[in-house]
Amino acid sequence: MMRRYFVTAMAAHLRTGGSLYLLTILGVALGVAAVLSIQIINRNAIAAFAGSVKAVSGEAALSVLGYTPSFPEDLYPRVLSTPGVQAAWPLWRAAVALSGRDDGMLDLIGVDFFTPVDIPWQGEPGDPAAALSQPGWVALTPLLAEQMGWRVGDAFTVSRGSRLVRLTVGALVDFHALNPLASPKLAVMDIAQAQSLFGDAGAIHQIDIKLAAGADTAAMRTRLQEHLGPAVRVVTPEQREAQAKGLLSAFQLNLTALSLISLFVGVFLVYSSTQAALVRRREEFGLLRSLGATRRQVFALIITEVGLLGGLGAALGLPLGYGVAQANVRVVSATLSNLYLLEEIARLEMTTWLYALGIVIGVGGAVVGALLPALDMARRDTRALLSAFTLHETVGSLALRLFALGVALPLTAAVWYGLHGRHWQHAGFVLAVVLLFTLPLLTPLLVRELCARIRVRGFGLGYSLKGLGVRLQTTSVAVASLAVAVSMLIGITLMIGSFRQTLSVWIGTSIQADVYIAPASWRGTGSDGGLEPHVMATATSHPAVQAVDRLRRFHGYTGGRRISISGVEMDLAPGRSRFPFLPGALPNPYGAMRERRGVFVGETLARKAGVWVGDTLPIHTPIGVQRFPIAAVYYDYSAGDGAAAMDLRTMTQAFGPGPVSSTALYLRPGTDVAAVVEELQAALPDAPLEIRSNRRLREEVLAIFDQTFAITRLLQFMSLLIAVCGIALMLLVLAREQVSELALCRSLGARGRQLFGVFVGKGLSMGVMGLALGSVGGVLLAGLLIYVINRAYFGWTIQPYVDWGLIAQQAATILGAAVLASLYPALRARQTSAVALSRDDL
Amino acid sequence: MESQQIADNAAAVLAFDAVGKAYAAPSGEQRHVLHDVSFAAPAGRRIAIVGRSGSGKSTLLHLAAGIDVPTRGDVRVMGRSLAEMSETARTTLRRDHVGLVFQFFYLMPHLSVHDNVALPALIAGDKPRQFEPRVAQLLDRVGLSDRAHERVQKLSGGEMQRVAICRALLRRPHLLLADEPTGNLDDENGWRVMELMLSLVAEEGGTLIFVTHSREVSGLADEVWRLHSGVLSPHAEAEAPAAPQPS
Repeated sequence: MMRRYFVTAMAAHLRTGGSLYLLTILGVALGVAAVLSIQIINRNAIAAFAGSVKAVSGEAALSVLGYTPSFPEDLYPRVLSTPGVQAAWPLWRAAVALSGRDDGMLDLIGVDFFTPVDIPWQGEPGDPAAALSQPGWVALTPLLAEQMGWRVGDAFTVSRGSRLVRLTVGALVDFHALNPLASPKLAVMDIAQAQSLFGDAGAIHQIDIKLAAGADTAAMRTRLQEHLGPAVRVVTPEQREAQAKGLLSAFQLNLTALSLISLFVGVFLVYSSTQAALVRRREEFGLLRSLGATRRQVFALIITEVGLLGGLGAALGLPLGYGVAQANVRVVSATLSNLYLLEEIARLEMTTWLYALGIVIGVGGAVVGALLPALDMARRDTRALLSAFTLHETVGSLALRLFALGVALPLTAAVWYGLHGRHWQHAGFVLAVVLLFTLPLLTPLLVRELCARIRVRGFGLGYSLKGLGVRLQTTSVAVASLAVAVSMLIGITLMIGSFRQTLSVWIGTSIQADVYIAPASWRGTGSDGGLEPHVMATATSHPAVQAVDRLRRFHGYTGGRRISISGVEMDLAPGRSRFPFLPGALPNPYGAMRERRGVFVGETLARKAGVWVGDTLPIHTPIGVQRFPIAAVYYDYSAGDGAAAMDLRTMTQAFGPGPVSSTALYLRPGTDVAAVVEELQAALPDAPLEIRSNRRLREEVLAIFDQTFAITRLLQFMSLLIAVCGIALMLLVLAREQVSELALCRSLGARGRQLFGVFVGKGLSMGVMGLALGSVGGVLLAGLLIYVINRAYFGWTIQPYVDWGLIAQQAATILGAAVLASLYPALRARQTSAVALSRDDL
Repeated sequence: MESQQIADNAAAVLAFDAVGKAYAAPSGEQRHVLHDVSFAAPAGRRIAIVGRSGSGKSTLLHLAAGIDVPTRGDVRVMGRSLAEMSETARTTLRRDHVGLVFQFFYLMPHLSVHDNVALPALIAGDKPRQFEPRVAQLLDRVGLSDRAHERVQKLSGGEMQRVAICRALLRRPHLLLADEPTGNLDDENGWRVMELMLSLVAEEGGTLIFVTHSREVSGLADEVWRLHSGVLSPHAEAEAPAAPQPS
């Protein structure tokens, strides 16, 4: 009976109260979309890495990787000679830049076609003879060939470091057949050709190993590690994936947390819309109860209805979330490859898990939002449901207790943090969650007290504000949800603004040379190619050059952390220091570093590894782990596990000779930098180089910074959109609930436009209150993000900075949105007739 | 005789001329609530309208206030035909010349006693110096000066209705319409409220039309009209009230 009633009643309510339901569905959909889009990107980022690992390494149970960019190929026979190894094949890998394309990189893999490596040829298999004999023979994925418009036989040029190499499409190799998420930019060629063409004779980057049947992987890993020595590490595919996950964890966690705020605001919206719908339908439930429906049936009726709306919201949120992910995958992918040197996300895959997640979030979020109102309604006795009553008194009487809880909760959290929490990485998120829960707890009393103190001096804003105080159940929820969204908006804006300003100052210290020269291939995934001697000679012999700062950089390891290791000229004049130090550096740190063969450690690494000046930093070198004394810790804003820098001579001693990755030129005072850049470009016409002025490099660094936070801004926007929906919803509810009040005003002579103004005033008042409360929350949230969360996850020191212009712009946007949200409800209120007076509501 | 009637109507504060009102029932059928109602209320008169529930009393007051419009005939307030006026003009007329008192008081719960009384002036956009003395005077007159800044929820029913009367009289309306003003009060409070309202209207020189069930209350009027099944007719038995003695 209830099922049939449910269907009939819901259809009727949908007809009469469509706008309320629509806003609920929209709120859920936006919440689902926000969370889902981030989850889609997060999952696919890892899947792209794993997909490429799977496609390249196939069924290999173990891989040998270097602690330094490459390792000698003479390790290969030692692998083969290890008992338990059934087969092994060496790989040479490099990220090469496609000439003539700013964003085109190729993940080039040199393989030995005579080893049992599984290559998924498309169409005609590659001819081993041609692959070996034809210079520059390379096999590409069909997708890349199609994108570039290349066919078999076409030639193209790539670069690694300053070296240009001409390749010819010899065959097509469909890595997607092995794994659909594999990067389309994978390409294979003969390993010997690759080593020869790219000037890397004798070096390889990876050895994949297939174990004999029945061999124990863990035992074999240990045996191989012992057999091969400390210059390399032996890892399983799972360990490689885990390392990628570890690298991304902080980035992904932060995005997930931001997306959850949108969901949090969405749940508020469901709460308030359910509340509103139930108040309107109290007589219906009273009648059902009087006809014999149990409390449980009433509760089930409400929850099922809301669950269904949640399901509809999820159904809308799933494609929306996918769309958002699709629209942002490029920037996030660029961030991942720029900051974490991981594979770009080639395509997005919606797995069953993601569908299930969307549905669970939608339905679950809606049910959670409706739980309290549904319980409240089910608990009330039949008589109360059938009589004229209002729920506002409930919140009104609870306001003081909620406020007390809102004070006690952050105080308790602060004490907990002071005593124990600060040693726990995730404590910052706990504090942020407490903060976001505190705002709604404080809201009812603050709204009530503020409204009570307002003196009504006219039928305008004061009157609008005064009226909000008695509808606490409705208004405080709308104000609270807006406050939460505004907190997020202001908090993150302050954090990003502070970060950007800090970075800008840091760039001013770190980027001091006049001209920077780096290979085009260096922009990608950390290629170990460098500047060839003739390029260096041409660049440094320019008559305007006063000093040269060479940089050699690659990725190495300290313990299990992958870090960026730089070798730089430490004997430049002190005024040309590139390292802004944190307090506590040794006296004359440059001298101390050179004399002691020490290192400067980036703040990120120092905090993560728990090392400081006076300690030593263990780094894997080709001859094993060497410990380097730390002479200073410098401000560093790199992602991942951080960075360390040492003198170039120390680096050569520890790691052997290697190419210069990039160089910085200091010009004589008064030199026209732009002219020198042009002259160098003219002197090196064919070299695949990026020759930038100081100014351009700074601009590019900030552009990458802005790109990194693009997705954050989108999440902020979604959260605000949900909150604005909440205001519209609340005002619609008020327009319904306050029909009698409006009718009374009409009977006392108020014109329709005056009621319109009162409602716009209510929207504006809620906007102002949400903005005020949210600004306080935002400042606190910014403090948490800057001083606790960023330090814990990234180890960055960010100096607080407020861009007042931007904040004012956002405040105006929020208030404008609140006014916009109130227009439709205000139109509804305007249409109220004086005959609608009902004794129930006043 | 007819010309005299027209002249009377023109001079009246309120005049109904062959007014009929019908509503569309959910079935689509027209339900006639008032039939051919004609009467005039000259300035300073106190008129009671009596009748059973559903006889059309509230509809008649709504028409008089310009809240609703007749299906037939015409309603004139201060000599102006409501039928010829726009909704906005009717609202303005009501705001400036008509006061309303309701059975259920209809006070704004979020406003204080003072602000509830001042509400019509706030709506009209009057300046505080224009209405503040009047608010104080009225509250003093009804004995609520010391409670001016309390929330109305703290008041008794009789006190609430006194506030509602002050609100209705704030802008010195020519016509005061009261719909069962004592209907939600006990006899003693009802009687006091009625006395107060009548004396205030007399002091202000306004015209009062009130709807009531009570024979005692209707006895306070200068004339009594009876509304039965939508037809208005003079009531023959206006009698002196049997007032309960205040304790």
